[in-house]
Amino acid sequence: MTSPRRVLVTGASGLVGEGVLRQMLHDDPALDAFALVRNEASWKSVAARLGPVVSRVVPVRGDMTLAGMGLEPTVRQRIERETRLVVHAAADTSFSRSLDHSRFVNTLGTYHVAEVAARCPRLDRFVFVSTAFVAGRSTGTILERDNGCQAGWVNAYEQSKYEAESTVRASGLLWTVVRPSTIVCRGTEGDIPQINAVHRALRIYHRGLAAMIPGARSNPIDVVTSSYVSSAIARIALDARAIHKTVHLCAGSGALTLGELIDTAYEVWAESPDWLKRGVERAMIPDAETYELFERAVMETGDVRLRSVLSSLSHFIPQLALPKVFDTTVAEVLLDSPAPPVSSYWKPMLRRLMASNWGQTAQQVAA
Amino acid sequence: MTRAESNGRSTPAIAGISYVFPERSRTIGELAGDLQLNSSASTMESFGFGKVHVAVAETPYELALAASTRLLEEGGVDRDSIGLLIYGGTPGSMAFAAATDAEDAARGLCTMSRFKYPATRLQYDLGLHNAWPFAVDQLACTTLLAAARIARSLCLTEGIERALCVSSEFFPANAGREAIFNCTSDAACAILIERDGTRNRLVSATNVTKGYYWDVDAMRDEIVASYFPTARHVLLRTIADAGWELGDVDWIIPHNVSARSWEILSSLVRLPRARLFSDNIVRHGHTLAGDNFINYRDALDGGCIQPGQRVVLFSYGFGAHWTGVAVEA
Repeated sequence: MTSPRRVLVTGASGLVGEGVLRQMLHDDPALDAFALVRNEASWKSVAARLGPVVSRVVPVRGDMTLAGMGLEPTVRQRIERETRLVVHAAADTSFSRSLDHSRFVNTLGTYHVAEVAARCPRLDRFVFVSTAFVAGRSTGTILERDNGCQAGWVNAYEQSKYEAESTVRASGLLWTVVRPSTIVCRGTEGDIPQINAVHRALRIYHRGLAAMIPGARSNPIDVVTSSYVSSAIARIALDARAIHKTVHLCAGSGALTLGELIDTAYEVWAESPDWLKRGVERAMIPDAETYELFERAVMETGDVRLRSVLSSLSHFIPQLALPKVFDTTVAEVLLDSPAPPVSSYWKPMLRRLMASNWGQTAQQVAA
Repeated sequence: MTRAESNGRSTPAIAGISYVFPERSRTIGELAGDLQLNSSASTMESFGFGKVHVAVAETPYELALAASTRLLEEGGVDRDSIGLLIYGGTPGSMAFAAATDAEDAARGLCTMSRFKYPATRLQYDLGLHNAWPFAVDQLACTTLLAAARIARSLCLTEGIERALCVSSEFFPANAGREAIFNCTSDAACAILIERDGTRNRLVSATNVTKGYYWDVDAMRDEIVASYFPTARHVLLRTIADAGWELGDVDWIIPHNVSARSWEILSSLVRLPRARLFSDNIVRHGHTLAGDNFINYRDALDGGCIQPGQRVVLFSYGFGAHWTGVAVEA
């Protein structure tokens, strides 16, 4: 495929969007970009990190939750005229939002972006950054396609992204849906660009505020690095073979099991004599029913802090009890190689997490 | 054959158990109405609690004396044969005060009254002239299990023929009746340990104390979180130390914390044959003094536990101790 003149990237202030933008500008010196900017301050930080290539980016103020992405008419006309490729990465990725809020941002927002894209006469591709966890409560092998919604979802984020995928598929655009797994660090060195729900959950267990994780030791738990996801999207966006394809950007067969992830975490934490001295018991892995019994008992009592801890875990942790393996056949054909195995970065990530006191020292905690 | 027998050593055993509850009891609804619970009555009832026993006129010492006297009389025990008296529970001068006077009595701990010891007085009142009296403290609800373990060890190492262990606890009037989601009773429980027993032999005893949780106010949530994995660990270690397999255990004799928590713990431990004797949770609530032995006595009297069956007693002491004892009935 010939390089597009301009790419429109939404969510460029986010982890994936910024990474994709940087990678695409790096890979193709002829490429220019529009970056949809909702928050000026966030964009200034991104711009500073991008360095010289930022001169090829036109920031455009807008808001995808508004019709026409809230763009000024003249700006919108220019975007429609020049855009050859859209990478829609903007989303509210919080697991704890209400369904109404998640739909408002993720589903309606995607509808508005697709609507603008449909008015771009030279558009070659609409790449939608979804999530592997649109699979929700499904178990087993998850294929790279629309697998339906019969199983339901663990949280509103998953549901809103599934519904957004449906919007994209019905848009009539030349779409590609990419589904990254949960990002835990930047690369195999384990540095953590942004603290997320996984890191916060690990902190709860490290502090001994929770000691049960539902599931089974053998359940595969899929996570990935942001560098893999960004470079994969940058490549797939320019690959004509990916049109009307759904692509899992997941560890797949390189995932570790829940037991392996937990064992490694407690091994790394035990490297600290202060932590070891506490005698914090290793978290158990009961079945989902036992965990729910414990959760219900706590929720029925008046203990505010403990309820808050379990509530924060509840938006995410049930997923661990739903064993699934993400098929990555399409991804591996398009990218020629699988994602880095989780074993190559899980331990370095844990060490960095502990060394930075969960981002406190590096001010990495996401707002 | 137990491991203790195979080593050619005698196995100390529980020769008797007796307990006393105060005269007055209160329902969960009544406690909630008097703001004696942190949680709602319906929550406590859903956790399996029905009523608790409340000492009003009785002092902890009087309860301890009554339980011990009953034990010695029931068994027709030769008092001169008792070489050890271990007291656990309400300390010093507080043991001689009723609940309403507990605060005044506590001030006695800061005066020369601190030398008024319930263990010493029990030795005199019970006529146990040969008994060495002392107290165990700071072990909360594991106190009587710890006393049994100490008595077992001293019977083996010093040849003591019989040891009387007695624990008596009450909640002061202003302390409320709920301790980490459990409704508490006042009670006293006495047990007699014999050096050479044939029934109810103390096969093994295991304790894990986690000092990190010493500040129970600050670490309350961490304690709740750590309770289950540590309890599981101690239960499994108690069984292993007894030389038993998981499938060998016939009964778990619990401390009377919420039935819900035992449901969770049972699911986590998964002993294939073991039954849980939980009848007393609704009847008595949780006593600091000796749930396990009160329950063991009732399970024996009710014909639940048969001779030779393998039983594990488990309790958690707030502050933070997890204790298990393996008994061959």
